[in-house]
Amino acid sequence: MNIRALARGLGDPWILTTLAVSLAVIAPLLHVLAGFGTSGPAWEHVASTVLGQYVFNTAVLAISVAALSATLAIPTAWLVSLFNFPCRRVFEWALVLPLAIPTYVAAFVYIQVPEACIPLLVWVRQTAGIDTYQLAESGLRHGLLTLLMAATLYPYLYITARACFARQNRIVIEAAQTLGRSPGQVFASIGLPLARPAIAAGLSLIVMEVINDYGAVHFFGVPTLTEGIFRTWFGLGDRVSALSLASLAMAAVLTLVVVERFQRGRARFAHQSGDSTPVSRRPLSRIRAATAILVCAVPLTIGFLLPVAQLIYWSWQAIPIWGEHAVREPQILNSLFLSIGAAAGITLAAVVVVYTVRLHGHSYIRGAARVAAIGYAAPGAVVAVGVMVLLGKVDRMLEQVSTTTDLPTVLLSGSLFAIGFAYLVRFLAVPLQAVRSGMTNVCGSLDEASRVLGHPPLSTLWRINLPLLKHTLLGAAVLVYIDILKELPLTMLLRPANFNTLAVTAFGLAKEGRIYESALPSLMIVLVGTIGLVALNRLIGERTG
Amino acid sequence: MNQLTAFLCFILLAAAVQAEEITLYSHRHYKVDDALFAHFTEKTGIRINVVKAKADELIERLKAEGEQTKADVFMTADAGKLHRAKVAGLLQPIESPVLESRIPPALRDPEHHWFGFTMRARVIVYAVDRVDVDSLSTYEQLARDAWYGRVLVRSSSNIYNQSLLASLIAARGKDAATRWARAVRSNMSRPPQGSDRDQIRAVAAGLGDVALVNTYYVGLLLNSTSEKDRAAGRAVGVFFPNQEGRGAHVNISGAGVTAGASNPEAAVGLLEFLVSDHAQSRFPQATYEYPVVEGVPWSDLLSGWGQFKADSLNVAELGGLNSTAVRSFDLAGWE
Repeated sequence: MNIRALARGLGDPWILTTLAVSLAVIAPLLHVLAGFGTSGPAWEHVASTVLGQYVFNTAVLAISVAALSATLAIPTAWLVSLFNFPCRRVFEWALVLPLAIPTYVAAFVYIQVPEACIPLLVWVRQTAGIDTYQLAESGLRHGLLTLLMAATLYPYLYITARACFARQNRIVIEAAQTLGRSPGQVFASIGLPLARPAIAAGLSLIVMEVINDYGAVHFFGVPTLTEGIFRTWFGLGDRVSALSLASLAMAAVLTLVVVERFQRGRARFAHQSGDSTPVSRRPLSRIRAATAILVCAVPLTIGFLLPVAQLIYWSWQAIPIWGEHAVREPQILNSLFLSIGAAAGITLAAVVVVYTVRLHGHSYIRGAARVAAIGYAAPGAVVAVGVMVLLGKVDRMLEQVSTTTDLPTVLLSGSLFAIGFAYLVRFLAVPLQAVRSGMTNVCGSLDEASRVLGHPPLSTLWRINLPLLKHTLLGAAVLVYIDILKELPLTMLLRPANFNTLAVTAFGLAKEGRIYESALPSLMIVLVGTIGLVALNRLIGERTG
Repeated sequence: MNQLTAFLCFILLAAAVQAEEITLYSHRHYKVDDALFAHFTEKTGIRINVVKAKADELIERLKAEGEQTKADVFMTADAGKLHRAKVAGLLQPIESPVLESRIPPALRDPEHHWFGFTMRARVIVYAVDRVDVDSLSTYEQLARDAWYGRVLVRSSSNIYNQSLLASLIAARGKDAATRWARAVRSNMSRPPQGSDRDQIRAVAAGLGDVALVNTYYVGLLLNSTSEKDRAAGRAVGVFFPNQEGRGAHVNISGAGVTAGASNPEAAVGLLEFLVSDHAQSRFPQATYEYPVVEGVPWSDLLSGWGQFKADSLNVAELGGLNSTAVRSFDLAGWE
């Protein structure tokens, strides 16, 4: 029956496009997924020596970063959503800014702290002995890594939690307040439980980022699964076992996604009942307002102000040597071109996929839409290799076609198409989530009415859904834009010759130890990203009032 | 009509000029490389396009692109990666009397698939104010209890460490090398982390007394824009180990012509240019690496560290033993 539905569906351009998009996403990842449960020649060695350490380090880091992110994000989101205090408006948008700082840039900055602490560590070593010193050194390093990751990743949670708190049921909260509950009690007994799905959604994004991080963990000497994948692949020359490790990481991430989706299924139910007027913000007493300011200032300082200040200082120091290392126009233009172009394309693809699910609720289409989100769970470099292998095969086929038909040869490998394709695979999940929830929450059944009145799907999408979703779409596109601006492994590996972006330049210089010179391109990434975020916040501000 | 002919000639000429270019996949990321490439273009008219990324990832890209690759030359900062590219069938053998006569046999592939153009030595650096140089002798003696809590080395994921252990495996066998790695790991002042530069900085600051690093990193620190780094460079001494025995461990930066190269002659031309006196004399000045061609003058810094005996093991062996070395590190618990 499903096959018959599929055969009929293939005549429909929406279904065809959606199936093509999910096929495009899944094809380069098939070799990773095929790795699940398999074991190559080095598997036994990996399992008996280093696997435990990889899993332990990854799990501890993911859990501690998630916990610290929650500590930074949830109270701040609650404060800016429900209370009035000086600077609240500034904090409300500024707390998103750490998103513009790539984790690897934060790592270059924060690795200075252990270096600055060296005299202290030397003192510990001399007075308390080598073993105590080793304990202190390890604690400092792990602590800082957790802190810098949480401080740059917490906005994922802040955004979802704030959106949820802002929409929370006014009547329930005001009833609790009238019944004499303290603000803390309201938060613990009502705000937090109601926001659980939003918090889970934000946390799952953070955990995915931690599991797939390669730069920061490497700088801080904490070998996680990602490092294990590359070491097994290249060091031990065992691709099968490496992909098996990658599929292990993906399975962990996908479990989280499933849990999160399950949570969201209940959330929709909760949101649609009752009055959705936003809660009116209550003023705080002077001492409480001061505390609120402090609570909001901490994550902003650690995640944004300090790193930016350091980058500005380094860029200033590097002025005498800028002549030869100045950021040149092409890098900025390349970064902008890739980020804006890909963000627009990927968001459009997400709209098509979500709208097709809305038009045709067949189970295989829902399955295809789910598959289209899978790339976010895979490490960037694994996606890059998958894309390379796939395009290499396509290129060989194209060459055969061109020799038999005299058509000119087109080479996809090493072209901008390859990069754009890889971005689609990796980042489609980001707008997909946003557009999906936007379509259900914002559009209601207006588009069904339009179609009953005789408008075809495309016209309905254009006249009803897109105008209603304008803010959601722009928001989703800005998130993709920032992700691509910061993106490193895909761009570095798939780019054409002589093609540089800000991220590639910054990382190349920093890796070479030329921290001062790398500060300027890093700063440019932050600046260009911040511009996008400020625009996004204006939009969210307009929407929520 | 004449104008049209002239125009067509111009187009053909432009196409011919356009054809004279080669594409380079490189893991090296030094300024001097760009300057040398510019010089090569000036001399020959051959333009060089560059893709820079990690060696392993470039190998995967070459594999995926196969015969259709745009790359003519593959360049890395380690013999192990070149060996891996050769085994994967990504490089082609080349006959070049220039390369063979100028590069010592131990620093190039016996089957002519790749050639070293700079040499780097992995040595012991020590804190000049705390370590008696007479207490240093070999890599092997860093395994002794006397060095407990005093050794600094980076992660074993790094290819320089893998090649060093490969040389120990070649000299002493796998079991002895694993025991050595385990003992050195337990003598470390802190878990392996950071770059070679960071190890030198840590020795200078007093976190440990000795570090295993490549010599040119000392040069890079001594010539840094940061006064703190220059001070760190001055605080350490360079010691070439195993001078009574097999010699200090050396590795290369090298390059080979890809199997799918569309312009192999120009590619060989670039390799030969890199071992010319002009290019060879630039490396000691700019990257503080050793030239591979005998008789090319060293910089003052390199001369100051002194002549040394290098391990005569062919660097191709390092590639063959690479995955054995990684397994040894895993068994030894050296992260």
